[in-house]
Amino acid sequence: MTGRFLALHLPSLATNRLRRAEPRLPPTRPLATWAAFGNRRLLVAVDAAAEAAGLRPGQALADAQAIAPDLALQAAHPGADAQALQALAFWARRYTPLAAVDPPDGLLLDITGCAHLQGGEAALLRDALARLGRAGVAARGAVAGAPATAAALARARSDNPIVVNGIEAVVAGPLPLGPALRLPLALLDELQRLGLRRVHDLLDLPRAPLARRFGQDLLDRLDAVTGRRRVVLQPVTPPPDLTVVQDLLEPIITRAGIEAVLDRLLDGFCRGLRQAQLGARRVALLAWRVDGVVQEVAIGTGTPVREPRHLHRLFAEGLERLEPDLGFERMALEARATDSMAAGTQAGLGLGGRYDEAVAARDLAQLLDRLGQRLRVQRVSPVASHWPERAVAARSLHGPEPAIPPGWDVQPWPVLLFRRPQPVQAAAPWQAGAPAMLPWRGRNHAIQRAEGPQRLEPEWWRARPGLQRRDYYRVELASGVRLWICRGESPEAPAWLLHGYLP
Amino acid sequence: MLAALRARVARLEAGHGDRRGRDAIPICDGLPLPGGGLARAAVHEVLATSPGCGAAFCALLLARTGGTVLWIALEVDMLLAWPPGLARFGLLPAELVLVRARRWPDALWAMEEALRCPAVTGAVLALPQEQSAEAHPLDLTATRRLQLAAEAGGALGLLLRPDAASVAPSATTTRWRIGAYPTDADATLDEGCWQLELLRSKAGRPGGPWAVTWQAATGQLVLATATPYPARQAAR
Repeated sequence: MTGRFLALHLPSLATNRLRRAEPRLPPTRPLATWAAFGNRRLLVAVDAAAEAAGLRPGQALADAQAIAPDLALQAAHPGADAQALQALAFWARRYTPLAAVDPPDGLLLDITGCAHLQGGEAALLRDALARLGRAGVAARGAVAGAPATAAALARARSDNPIVVNGIEAVVAGPLPLGPALRLPLALLDELQRLGLRRVHDLLDLPRAPLARRFGQDLLDRLDAVTGRRRVVLQPVTPPPDLTVVQDLLEPIITRAGIEAVLDRLLDGFCRGLRQAQLGARRVALLAWRVDGVVQEVAIGTGTPVREPRHLHRLFAEGLERLEPDLGFERMALEARATDSMAAGTQAGLGLGGRYDEAVAARDLAQLLDRLGQRLRVQRVSPVASHWPERAVAARSLHGPEPAIPPGWDVQPWPVLLFRRPQPVQAAAPWQAGAPAMLPWRGRNHAIQRAEGPQRLEPEWWRARPGLQRRDYYRVELASGVRLWICRGESPEAPAWLLHGYLP
Repeated sequence: MLAALRARVARLEAGHGDRRGRDAIPICDGLPLPGGGLARAAVHEVLATSPGCGAAFCALLLARTGGTVLWIALEVDMLLAWPPGLARFGLLPAELVLVRARRWPDALWAMEEALRCPAVTGAVLALPQEQSAEAHPLDLTATRRLQLAAEAGGALGLLLRPDAASVAPSATTTRWRIGAYPTDADATLDEGCWQLELLRSKAGRPGGPWAVTWQAATGQLVLATATPYPARQAAR
C-alpha cells in the first residue's frame, strides 16, 4: 500500500462553531450544547472552559447549571455541525483534491503525492493545524498509510504522529478501543468487562468466535485500523481533471487584483489543457478567504475551450458574486469537465483575412457561451406533433441541425403564440361555428372572415390528463388583424381562447 | 453625377468594408428604397400595429440574411416567438437561437453582443406588447449603441416594438410601420396582407404606405395595386 492519508480530528467542532458564530462571547465563559433525550435534557458538547469547570457531556442540564451558573447554553444542532464539517472539507481541498468528511467530527485527506507542495508531510500537518487553530477550531492530526489508522491515531494520541507505511498494526495495537474503533457504547462496555481494552487485545484473539459473538462490523473496523482492509474515500467533490493553484502573499480584495490573479491562473490552466490536448467544458474558480471560507464561481461552455481571453470574459459576470471581505489568500481553477480537443482545431487558418467557417463557428459558440451565463438561450428542434404546445422541443445549442418532419413548416400556424391560451369573451351567434364579435385590446371588433374549424385532439398517448379537444379558427377582424382562436370543450373553462397571432 | 456622389457618400459612411458583402436585403420588388432594400450592418426599427404582422415581417427579413439569427425577448412577455410559424417565412429552426432575458438591461446587452459578433447575420429585439414604453426605455443612447455594434459586426439589427402614440427618437437607420390590411374577399387567409410604411430613413425619403401581399407559395412579398389608407388609422 502506497497511499498516504491525513486524518484531522476536531474534538469540539460544535462549540467551536458556536464561538465562531458569536465572537462577542468572552473566552472564559463556559459554553455547552444540550439536547433532549426523552424527557431528560442532557449536555451534548462542552468546550474547554466548561470542561475546566467540571462539566461533562451526558450530564443533566439542571446539574450543569448548578455547577456553572454563568454557563452559556445552546441547543445542539447536528445539521449545522455537519454543514460546518462539510465546509471544512471544502477548505481542506487546498491541500489535496481528495478531501472527505469523516462524520461526526473528522476529516480525511488523501495526500498521496501532495505533501511535497507544502514542504513535506510534517510541514503540511503543522500548517493545517495552525490554520485551524487560528480560525478557532481545535484540531489534532495524524498521517498514516491507511485512512482508518490515521483517524484512530488522531483521536487516540495527542502528539500528532506521522507513521510510515506497513506498520499500521503495530502502531494501532496499543491504542484504546474506544477512540480507535469508534464502537457503540454498549459494545465497548461489554468488551471492557471481558478485559479487552486495547486494539492488540482483540488482535490476539481468534477471529471466528469474535465475529460470531460481536458481529462482522467489529472485525471490519479492526481490519480497517490495521490496514488489512482497503477503505475508499468519498471526496466532497469529484476530483477535477486539471487544477491550477495560486497562493497569494498578501490577501487580495479588489476586483482588479482578483482579475489579475485570474489571468495568471488562466494562462497556466490553458497551457495545461493544451499539453493534455483537452478543452474545458465546465470550470470552477475557487477562492479561499483568510477566515477559511471557500467561495466558488463556476462557468460552463458549449464547446471545448482553452482560450484564456474567452474564459476570462465568461468569468467576468460571476466575479461580482465573490465576497472578498478580508481578502483571498489562495485561488485555484479547476476543470470539472473536459472534452478532448486536438491541437489546431481552435481557430481557422485565417489565410488572406477571409472570414472562414471555423472562425465563424468559434465566434458563435463564444457568443452563446457569454449570453448563456446571464440569460436563457435555447435552440429548438421540430417535433412531429399536431398539438401546438408540443410542436417544438429544446435542443442542445451546439448539436447537429434537426431534420424537419414533413408537413411541419407548411401549416398555417401563428407566428406568435401565447404561453397559455387567453380566455376571451367572444359572442357567437350559434353554438357551432366562429364567433361574430371578439374583444381585442379593450374594444369589441366585428369578425370579418373566419376559416375553420380545425379540430385538434390532445395526444392521448402522452397521457396528460385534463387536456380537452380544441376547435381552432383563423379569424380576421375588420381592421385586418388576424388571430388564432379556439373553442375549448371543457364545461368549466371559458369557451373561447385566444392562442396566437397569425401573420 | 448624382449617382456618383451617392456612391461616394455611401462609401464614406460605410467606413472600412466588412468581411462579407454589403448587399442590401431585398424586401419587395417595386419599393423605391435606396440601395434596393434594407441595409445590413445597421439597426432598423419596426413599429407593429398588429403583433403578428410585425413578427412575420422580421422573420422574413432575418431569413433573408442567410445565417444564424437571434430572437431576443423578455421573460415577462406573454407572447412567444413560435418557430413553426416562423419557419413558413423561411426562418428555419437550424438558424434560430431564442434568447430570453429577465431584465431589460440584459436584453439590450444581449442584443449588442449579438450584433457585435461577426458570426451572427441578424438579431431582433422584441419588446413586449402589453407593457408600457417607460418600462423598457429605448432612447437615443441605447439605439446609438446598437447601431454602432451593428456597424462593427455587420449584422442586421431589428427592433420590433408595438406602435405607440408617441415613439421616442432613435438613432436607427430606418423606421418602419407595419400593420394588417384586410384581404380581398376571394383570397384565403393563408396569404398575408400587410401595409408597409417607411416613416424615416437616414439615406432617403420616407415613403408609403404600400400594400403588400405575402405569397406562401413563392415566399415573396408582392406589391399590391390598391392604395391603402394610413396604417395608424387602420389599427383604430
